[in-house]
Amino acid sequence: MRFRNSAEGYGIIAQAFHWIVAALVFVQIGMGLYAADLPVSLARLQWLSRHKSLGLGILALVLLRFAWRSLNPPPALPDSMPRWERRAAVATHRLFYVLLILAPLAGWFHASAAGLSVNWFGLMQVPDLVSKDRELAELFKLTHRVLVGLLALLLVGHIGAALHHAFLRRDGVMHRMLPWRPRRNV
Amino acid sequence: MTRRLIPLLFLFVPVPASADDCRAVDGARGSVSFEVRQAGSPFRGMFRGFGGEICFTQDRVTRIDVWLHPATVDTGLPEVDAALKETEFFAVKEFPRLAFASTSVEAREGRQLAHGALHIKGKGHNLDVPFRLQQEEGRWVVSGSLTLDRLRYGIGTGEWSDTRWLGAEVKVVFRAALR
Ligand code: HEM
Repeated sequence: MRFRNSAEGYGIIAQAFHWIVAALVFVQIGMGLYAADLPVSLARLQWLSRHKSLGLGILALVLLRFAWRSLNPPPALPDSMPRWERRAAVATHRLFYVLLILAPLAGWFHASAAGLSVNWFGLMQVPDLVSKDRELAELFKLTHRVLVGLLALLLVGHIGAALHHAFLRRDGVMHRMLPWRPRRNV
Repeated sequence: MTRRLIPLLFLFVPVPASADDCRAVDGARGSVSFEVRQAGSPFRGMFRGFGGEICFTQDRVTRIDVWLHPATVDTGLPEVDAALKETEFFAVKEFPRLAFASTSVEAREGRQLAHGALHIKGKGHNLDVPFRLQQEEGRWVVSGSLTLDRLRYGIGTGEWSDTRWLGAEVKVVFRAALR
């Protein structure tokens, strides 16, 4: 097993970051959608608190992941892909980092401005980014939604492209992010 | 004849320094704010409607009678304010006012301590409230803080009695000018 990326694929560190963040983002979107629709209740308080803590956890992971990626650049996409596709893929991946940093930051700004500070999984107090302000809270709430919406759109495109590579083109691109080798000539 | 009696009258008029001076709490000049823990983090709000009367002699308080309208709660989150007015919290329709009345007031170093009873939601409990009475810019100002156990007064019943998510302790800070 390679820790670092190679010309053929991602190393296990990059893969672990990818799949852990991916799983957490799905859980996070589910919790956010569920909690945001609940009326004021203990369940809303509980689910939103978990959502806020997990969201900050994702933010921390994404920052670590970004640091690792800076030290260990991803393998180049194969020449078999048209240029525009390679460009689109690179742009998508960069935009993921932007959104995975800005979306939780907007959530954190929203929670701060709403006066609903975060205590990370009940373990430690997280500082507020701004002081309580109702109008700012509404603005950040909207910003959080828009950024998360963009993230969801990008996810649809990303997953669609990955599946296309895996099942239609079978060009090995998907396997760069998987810990096992492709079965050839199936 | 009458002239000679005038000095005598003063014997019956209480000297201002020893008289009870009763004044209304100026609800517009002051604040009653609170802090409680939600999911482990401090959450703050205030009540906009309060009033009452405070009597004192010189700067020693002799009687306190104050009230507050819980329906004027303001946490900055309208949906939370609405929930706080419901039966699980203040039940403002049934109990529009909460009140504190002193039974005695003790002078302590630099501050005073009121012994009395706080009535919220039909439940009364004895409560000691430390406070100060000071003159600021020509006005008398009372200020102080206290900590309450919300569960003793039935504030946050049912699912809300889970104190891991909504703390039992409520810190209250008050400050008001007297008219
Ligand atoms: C990658 C990270 C995150 C994702 C994918 C995400 C996703 C979501 C989603 C899908 C919603 C529901 C949107 C709606 O219907 O209103 C939501 C709501 C919310 N999120 Fe996040 N979130 C993230 C991070 C955070 C963080 C870090 C915080 C705060 C520290 C946060 C605070 C909130 C709050 C308070 C709401 C409820 C908004 C409302 O009142 O409607 N989120 N989030």
